[in-house]
Amino acid sequence: MRDVAIVGAGMVPFGKYQEKTLADIAWPAVKQAVEDAGIKKTDIEATYCGTALGGMMSGQRILKKLGITGLPIINIENACSSSSTAFREAWITVAAGVYDAVLVIGVEKLTKFGGGTLPLEKEDWEVSHGLVMPALYAMRARRYMHEYGLTENDIADVSVKARKHGVWNEDAQFRKEVTREEVLASRPVADPLKLFHCCPSGDGAAAVVICSAEKAKQYSAEPIRVIGSEINSGKYMTGYRDMTSPEITLRGAKQLYEEAGIGPEDVDLAEVHDAFAIAELLYYEALGFCAKGDAAKLLADGETSVGGKIPVNPSGGLLSKGHPIGSTGVAQIVEIVRQLRGQCGQRQVEGAKVGLTHCTGGGVSGFDHGVCSINLFAR
Amino acid sequence: MSEELQEALNLAGDAVSRAADGTVQLVGSECGECGKNVFPPTDVCPQCMSENLSSRKLSAQGKLYSWSVVHAAPKGWDLPFIAAYVDLPEEVRVFAHIVDADPEALEMEMPVEARIAVLGSDESGTAIESYAFTPVTKGDS
Repeated sequence: MRDVAIVGAGMVPFGKYQEKTLADIAWPAVKQAVEDAGIKKTDIEATYCGTALGGMMSGQRILKKLGITGLPIINIENACSSSSTAFREAWITVAAGVYDAVLVIGVEKLTKFGGGTLPLEKEDWEVSHGLVMPALYAMRARRYMHEYGLTENDIADVSVKARKHGVWNEDAQFRKEVTREEVLASRPVADPLKLFHCCPSGDGAAAVVICSAEKAKQYSAEPIRVIGSEINSGKYMTGYRDMTSPEITLRGAKQLYEEAGIGPEDVDLAEVHDAFAIAELLYYEALGFCAKGDAAKLLADGETSVGGKIPVNPSGGLLSKGHPIGSTGVAQIVEIVRQLRGQCGQRQVEGAKVGLTHCTGGGVSGFDHGVCSINLFAR
Repeated sequence: MSEELQEALNLAGDAVSRAADGTVQLVGSECGECGKNVFPPTDVCPQCMSENLSSRKLSAQGKLYSWSVVHAAPKGWDLPFIAAYVDLPEEVRVFAHIVDADPEALEMEMPVEARIAVLGSDESGTAIESYAFTPVTKGDS
């Protein structure tokens, strides 16, 4: 397998673009990534486009706007991990030597559903009986509170930190700080989770250009190396399972650290899947940033804020940056690329050398999550 | 299962049975090869892929693993409702609504018992029913 690097990154600010088509939302992100890479569009050999609900031929609809056509365009659906899955598929083709330069897109337009909880597959048994994503995370939260003494204040503080980071990110959907009191006073969604514990619904797109490490130097003075890329499906469990322990993330992180030959102590920053505030705390533990039961302390000590030992979601995360679901995986990678290049202004993690992205996708009965992808990057 | 019950249970179908004495039990599948119990019923075992499965009535009582009072859900559900996971002794975890309960009085691992309940209504206003659980009142268990 060849070494692979990212040479271009782009995204549009996440928000609500109800009046725009999916293609019109996405093309500026793609153009930005291509121009950032300084690559001729004719040198792009294939495109992987991740979207969960964007509909048929999303990649073709976007790329015809820019005239990047006549190449393999592969559209990928894997729920909230759609574009992180697209990234990994693209990475495999470059690592295997099939292509030298590949474009990866993540795109979603959720405003077309008119708001509310994410529409899930109704054929699923639990969904057919009323399960919604906030309720699933809320049950994880309640169980964790019961077993580890986590408080509602602790969970609220995740949102406070996310919003604080989001203020510094011009691509974030929410750019206003909130207080713990405001989080706790926001309307209940799925007790104990309130509105400000939940990521917003919205639209957005992100894109990266990857190529073989050897070719990367001709495009970028500072290519960002992909030092590990891992994806897994959850294990289907019909019986009892520990909802405080995200098995798919634990398993994936272990595999990835082994593959990359580094440990969690070597990671300088991480973008993790904080679709709901409780999730970020579970992932501190699953990714090895602290011991089981210590997540609230890690947060309270400021270690996961910019300036701390292991800043998590300096972009504002899904809670603040937003979560147009199919866009999220690539948008996380865009943030890591910009952080490792030192382009992040007030939210810059000083001296960052190694970054991690973590993206899950759920909504199917019997799984912790249906899918989880984790990547490691280095400069 | 009686015809009358079939009409009432438009969500859970054959996945629930009600005895003459009113006892409600969920019905899953038991694998004839490896013995695994699965809910809802299935036609192939997710453990050994055997298609030799039979219908298996599950215990009427289980324990509450976790719950949430849900205030936001697609149209049709009566809001708010209590969503929960209930662990049945047959090593099966079931997603269910908790009904006839004060959310403040719920406790982890408390015994709950299956019943039939109206959970919402469809676009035409017809009641949607399915199985649900309710806390076992003291002296009842």
